[in-house]
Amino acid sequence: MNIFLHELKSHRKSLLFWSIGVFLMVVSGMAKYAAYSSAGQSMNDLIADLPKSLRAVLGFNALDVSKISGYYGMLFLYLLLMATIHAAMLGATIIAKEERDKTSEFLFVKPVSRTTIITAKLLAAFTNIVVFNVVTFVSLLFFIGKYNSDGEAVNGDIALTMAGMFILQILFMVIGSALASVKRKTKTAPSLAASILLLSYMLSIVIDLNERMEGLKYLTPFKYFEAKNVMLGGGFERVYIIISIVLIIAFSTITYVFYKKRDLNV
Amino acid sequence: MNVIEIKNLTKTYGKARGITDISFNVEEGEIFGFIGPNGAGKSTTIRTLLSLIYPTSGSAAIFGKDCIQFAPEIKKEIGYLPSEVFYYDNMKVKDLLNYSASFYKKDCRKRIIELANIMDLDLNKKIDDLSLGNKKKVGIVQGLLHEPKLIILDEPTSGLDPLIQQKFFELLEEENKKGATILFSSHILSEVQRLCNRVAIIKEGKIVTVEKISTLQENNYKKFKMETKSALEANYFQISGVNNLEIRGNLTSFLFRGNINTVMRKIADIEITNLWIEEPDLEEIFMHYYEKEA
Repeated sequence: MNIFLHELKSHRKSLLFWSIGVFLMVVSGMAKYAAYSSAGQSMNDLIADLPKSLRAVLGFNALDVSKISGYYGMLFLYLLLMATIHAAMLGATIIAKEERDKTSEFLFVKPVSRTTIITAKLLAAFTNIVVFNVVTFVSLLFFIGKYNSDGEAVNGDIALTMAGMFILQILFMVIGSALASVKRKTKTAPSLAASILLLSYMLSIVIDLNERMEGLKYLTPFKYFEAKNVMLGGGFERVYIIISIVLIIAFSTITYVFYKKRDLNV
Repeated sequence: MNVIEIKNLTKTYGKARGITDISFNVEEGEIFGFIGPNGAGKSTTIRTLLSLIYPTSGSAAIFGKDCIQFAPEIKKEIGYLPSEVFYYDNMKVKDLLNYSASFYKKDCRKRIIELANIMDLDLNKKIDDLSLGNKKKVGIVQGLLHEPKLIILDEPTSGLDPLIQQKFFELLEEENKKGATILFSSHILSEVQRLCNRVAIIKEGKIVTVEKISTLQENNYKKFKMETKSALEANYFQISGVNNLEIRGNLTSFLFRGNINTVMRKIADIEITNLWIEEPDLEEIFMHYYEKEA
């Protein structure tokens, strides 16, 4: 419990900044919606005229951006990217920082097992992620409510996509922590976690661009809970939930197993 | 009873030198010195004992229990001061010590204040703002606040001024009197001589010898160096106990072991302009041990 609280405290400031960041993202994103909605159908036509590759890169998709649900579908991608970067870096940092800051000779000579330490750290990271998700969710509900002049029913879709985002946050958090625990030089784990995340994001764009690569969609988590599928297709696909859960269990196990065995860099 | 039992402990890793086949015991209630030059494997041995790193082969037991399998349990009664102290920079000293205390199921508040007073440590400062010596003091308080039965110190005096060092040694002796066993690693012979009952000498990852300090001192060389008015005859100091005799112009130097009076009388008979008598440094002690082995 003391480690958990200590970790919460030490990540308090960073969580605050990330929360402000995602809040501003929602605010500025929804402010732009005003322009999109007033442009109406012409905006959709304009987007349809863009080359497919550009549309894929910018996150425009099958949704109607002049409607608030469609616009949210686009905004969601950016929120997801932000949330997962936060999660991946946090997962890696929270494990790696004892060695980075050379405090392992303090913490790991205390009468607690490494398993206990990892559990406390992962729980603290998890709490941070929950807070991030809730802040995003609440800001969305508030600002979408504010701009939703047509009274479209979107809150259910928002909740669903936020649930998808939450699963991916946890997934990237444990990818980060697994990297930090496997790598000998833990210092580089956060940046490596972020690189892997960006690579899988780019893969998801490449898949959007090239239909023949459709089969690779299982490789990038960004394809698991896409807004257009979740919102238009009505819900999650079971296979992606299963893959996510399996991966989360696998990466958590790797975190524990490797960290217990490793020689700490002191 | 042995508080620490190390059996054939070996740790090899990467390019850095590890330790090879280390075995020694530390008995309950003793202050045991662990001495060797930098990079000899002192810290590696200690970190293996604390299961920060794992041995390649061999084993170690503390309080009769395997130091890896029972690590969390053993560590309740261990206080450790690392050679380089690093703490969470943005914490206050007070908060760090309380955090440290929160791992032990006892009330340490009184002891923290006592120790901080002895060490002259300001509890309200931020760790980040502390000098190296003051960080070391935090380390000392942090290592002793739960009144451990085994105190492990890795080069504890670096960065401490002589006054605080003195207080720290007194504190250790007091803890020892109360029953604590102490493993004291150092590369400074004099501080080990001052405190310890027995000592293990380590060089290049291997234990050279484990001896009582008293035995070590009997066997000990003194380094003599003198400047004379005129060059000495080459055989003037050719008496038993003299080694490594070197005469360079007016400078004469040698190592001496034995009754110091005989050599002092010889010196009194000659005209000298300057005289140095020094404890041999570690290297020379090692040379002594290598000579004995050869």
